[in-house]
Amino acid sequence: MHIYKLLTTFLKVNIQQDLAYRADAIVNMALSLMWLGWELTSLSIIFSNTETLGGWGPSELIALLGVWRLVNVVMATIVWPNTEKFNNGVRDGSLDYTFLQPANSQLLISITRIVVWRAWDLLLALTLIVAGITSSGGITTPLNVIAFLGLTISGVAIIYSLWIVLISFTFWFTKFDNNVTIMQALMDAGRYPAQVYPVWLRAIVTFIIPIAVATTVPLQALRGDLQWWQILGFLVIGVGAFIISARIWKAGVRRYSGASS
Amino acid sequence: MQPVQTRNGTSRIARNGPDPIIVDGLSKTYRVTDREGGFGAAVRSFFKRKYRDVKAVQNVSFRIGSGEIVGFLGPNGAGKTTTLKMLSGLLYPTGGSANVLSHTPWERRADYLRSITLVMGQRNRLSWDIPAADSFLLNQAIYRIGDADYKRTFDELNELLELAAIIRKPVRNLSLGERMKCELAAALLHRPQVLFLDEPTIGLDIGAQVRIRSFLKEYNRRSGATILLTSHYMADVTALCERIIIIHHGQLKYDGKLADLSRRIAPYKLIAVRLGDCIDCDLSRYGTVVEVAAEYGADGANGDGGKQLVQVKADEVAAVTARILADLPVSDLTIEDPPIEDVIERAFHE
Amino acid sequence: MLAIYKHLWQVNWAEQWQYRANLIMYLFYWLVSPIVYLAVWTTVATAQGSVNGLTAQDFVAYYMVLLIVNIATSEITIHILGYRIMDGTLSNLLVLPVHPVLTQVLVNNLAFKALQLIALAPIWAVLYVLFQPVLTITLVNVLLAIPALALGFLFSFFIGATITFIAFWTTRVWAIAEFYFAVFQLFAGQFVPLSLLPPVLHNIAEALPFRLVLYFPVQLILGKLTVQESMLNLGLLAVWCVAGYALFSVVWRGGVKKFSAVGA
Repeated sequence: MHIYKLLTTFLKVNIQQDLAYRADAIVNMALSLMWLGWELTSLSIIFSNTETLGGWGPSELIALLGVWRLVNVVMATIVWPNTEKFNNGVRDGSLDYTFLQPANSQLLISITRIVVWRAWDLLLALTLIVAGITSSGGITTPLNVIAFLGLTISGVAIIYSLWIVLISFTFWFTKFDNNVTIMQALMDAGRYPAQVYPVWLRAIVTFIIPIAVATTVPLQALRGDLQWWQILGFLVIGVGAFIISARIWKAGVRRYSGASS
Repeated sequence: MQPVQTRNGTSRIARNGPDPIIVDGLSKTYRVTDREGGFGAAVRSFFKRKYRDVKAVQNVSFRIGSGEIVGFLGPNGAGKTTTLKMLSGLLYPTGGSANVLSHTPWERRADYLRSITLVMGQRNRLSWDIPAADSFLLNQAIYRIGDADYKRTFDELNELLELAAIIRKPVRNLSLGERMKCELAAALLHRPQVLFLDEPTIGLDIGAQVRIRSFLKEYNRRSGATILLTSHYMADVTALCERIIIIHHGQLKYDGKLADLSRRIAPYKLIAVRLGDCIDCDLSRYGTVVEVAAEYGADGANGDGGKQLVQVKADEVAAVTARILADLPVSDLTIEDPPIEDVIERAFHE
Repeated sequence: MLAIYKHLWQVNWAEQWQYRANLIMYLFYWLVSPIVYLAVWTTVATAQGSVNGLTAQDFVAYYMVLLIVNIATSEITIHILGYRIMDGTLSNLLVLPVHPVLTQVLVNNLAFKALQLIALAPIWAVLYVLFQPVLTITLVNVLLAIPALALGFLFSFFIGATITFIAFWTTRVWAIAEFYFAVFQLFAGQFVPLSLLPPVLHNIAEALPFRLVLYFPVQLILGKLTVQESMLNLGLLAVWCVAGYALFSVVWRGGVKKFSAVGA
């Protein structure tokens, strides 16, 4: 309940803040539309030259693009802006105040800044997903859709956990404050099905920076490509990643306060 | 320990409760990377880093009673901030123990964090982009302050700090003094019983310093909160603290009354003498001539009525004064305590 | 003046070595997108035989060379200077008796770039083994590529710095910078060889200078251009550099005036 209270308070403050910076929101919404235009253009370039990309049709790639954008919404709403806050806090020492507060520090650094108008991107992402699924011609079943939703959530949890791990590294390595760009960079790899990539790259985006787990895998479930035990496995990994990342964050905080080392 | 509330809303300080701050043998050693300049050294350190131990705090012990305001003094790098960070739970010590309000600070329990506060004058707690009022609401949620309590505390702080006019503006548009008021208010909304203040007046102009000072004094009187404060401004210390603790190079140098420090460290007084017409008067016979009052210029010593300061052992003051008055054409004579800055400076190096 | 650069280089170079972790992160950023598109297009080209006359081999070669050109012409001015303008610490640079952007910031860029190229070398070698690109590189092309890359960097440095200077007027500089990078990447050939763009976009790309920074050097190194075409593009790039410098100077002067007026 207290978490709910915290969330709503943070949300309220952030809405006020974003209302004050209308111009920023409008520029970014336009930018987002421009990228969408380019993404669809590149898909049309690809499919004007081929029927399928690694066995995936155009409507499936549109749905994939939607899921990929959904993951990006989480990134742009929470991860990137809070990374900036966090890095500034490390630089000027105001992070100390976060640890003085009697609330879960991981929660606090995750929701201090919420870029509210990214709801617009959420809308675009959901539109793409629905458009992709409906135009794929009814090959999917309700059960597949449920698996798809579950895996999307677990995929997002995995990416979030990875972020927590990466910013925790700042406690061990000084001047590591751009480490999150590694995720930003690898995000691009989620735009296309992992089956397209050479084996080593597929391994990286599946196991090391598991962006494919958040994008390709849910889509595979939607297509009915996955066995029930695979789906279960990915869900377990999502929960596990979340728990492990919280542990690493705690260890990082202990390191920051000189408890270890 | 809640301060005892009296009927008219102010509180009486509960002096005979257990000491809220007990520090015993506290030590902190940092490990830092050692690196020389130059390209070669940079490449070497890329592969192998050298480390060096820095003893920031060494075996420091003290107790602070309920409702006390204690000045925590020392030159830059003496270990003041490190100690405050350990006491507020931000840093683990490498040795020793501390007990604040019956908690071990670095366990960082939520109910401990709810009963203390740390204000660092050089760092911002408030979010830069939003009005302080919104940051206050965040704190209300984080510290789980009930609406009634929040309103009562806010009204009280508003009365003392005159916040109403400034908390609606984004923090980035506030002056340094206004910002500090808001920082203090944000730090006190949850009615902490122990306040750690690290340079709360740094960078402020004299007027703002005075306002912050009188606020702290009044806050202490009303709430009975215990305050441990560092400052480089001696006016802060003399106005607020009866007792001071001095550390230097991480070691405790003095713990006691501010007034006693002068007596112990500097057992001397200054006799300020203004002489009448006198060509060849030499005051150095009576003691060390320490200073010629600046407003009369460097050659004021032999001029008409320049003020000179003679340093004399405390127990000889009476005798020396009598001799000066007998020997010289004195137009004015006063006996002064040595300036507190000098006394503390001496204490650092003793 | 040379002594200043020499000293700045030593300081910045040593500094970059200390930020080793940071470096790897940036490098990743430059690596991923070309490799992703390499994979996508070789998949398409392998299935279809060729795309618009480009075979799978052509795509491999294009993106492998792009990896180098990318880093050679990249600039990170906004990361060096952006927050210093906004929080006022630029003052420390402004009191220097030299142009801070053309000395400190420029050298910082170069030191970063040099170290990135060193770090790229082993990775590129591994990718070479993995993808087996067919590269036929001639001495003439290499000699022409050197001024092309140098001018390409200078041009993007001037424009990148100019974009950064917007921070003098508005704190919303990041959104604008992001927009710029998006346009730049799209029309420079970062994602697809420009010949694959639909006609409308292709025409826009031809008119904009950004293709000269990435697409042109890549084509040059791959030997797709005649010496004449290369010289023509080089000349055009030089003209754009001069224009970029003019813009850079004007905006800088205006920005500093604004900065001093506010007294940040």
